[in-house]
Amino acid sequence: MKNRLKVLRAERDWSQADLADRLEVSRQTINALETGKYDPSLPLAFRIARLFGQPIETIFDDGQA
Amino acid sequence: MDGKPTNPAQKRYLARFIPTMAVYVAAIFTVSWVFNRYEPGGPLAWGLALLPALPLLAIIAIMGLYLREEGDEFVRNILVESMLWGVGLTLSIMTVWGFLEIYAEAPRLPSFWAFPIFCFGMGLAQPFIKRRYR
Repeated sequence: MKNRLKVLRAERDWSQADLADRLEVSRQTINALETGKYDPSLPLAFRIARLFGQPIETIFDDGQA
Repeated sequence: MDGKPTNPAQKRYLARFIPTMAVYVAAIFTVSWVFNRYEPGGPLAWGLALLPALPLLAIIAIMGLYLREEGDEFVRNILVESMLWGVGLTLSIMTVWGFLEIYAEAPRLPSFWAFPIFCFGMGLAQPFIKRRYR
């Protein structure tokens, strides 16, 4: 699924490791999310949305809208 | 999982795994020695033969505990996928070899090998699964 994680992360000047720490996941997880090859569970998607202070649907795009 | 442990669940896994494997190795050597020296029979032989199996059963439980405790869902996902590959490899080899034993007089493959084959398949699959997500 496409997402804006990389952009949001860059806006805050965070490295993948920074974001990994804030979400309490590994750096490889961040990488898999950013490439759109791994879709997060709903709980992790909510954690990401809260961290960036944006609704889930502005961060993730399932291509249906 | 590979490399050094990076989170508490992985550290706990190793803290359980390493001593249990040490117990397993000790049990193998002890039981082999007892069988060579005393050639026990009957119920005693059954009891002794089960001893090395117990730490391996514990290893299975330890793997299950790690799966439950691992908080990183992506890491967990990779592990579960690699376990499925391990299961697939084990069932395939046991099925094929089983028929070879029945019809073609292939040498007997001890069922003990199921677990090592599972672990081998799981370990082999992991780098390939990880590469898919890069």
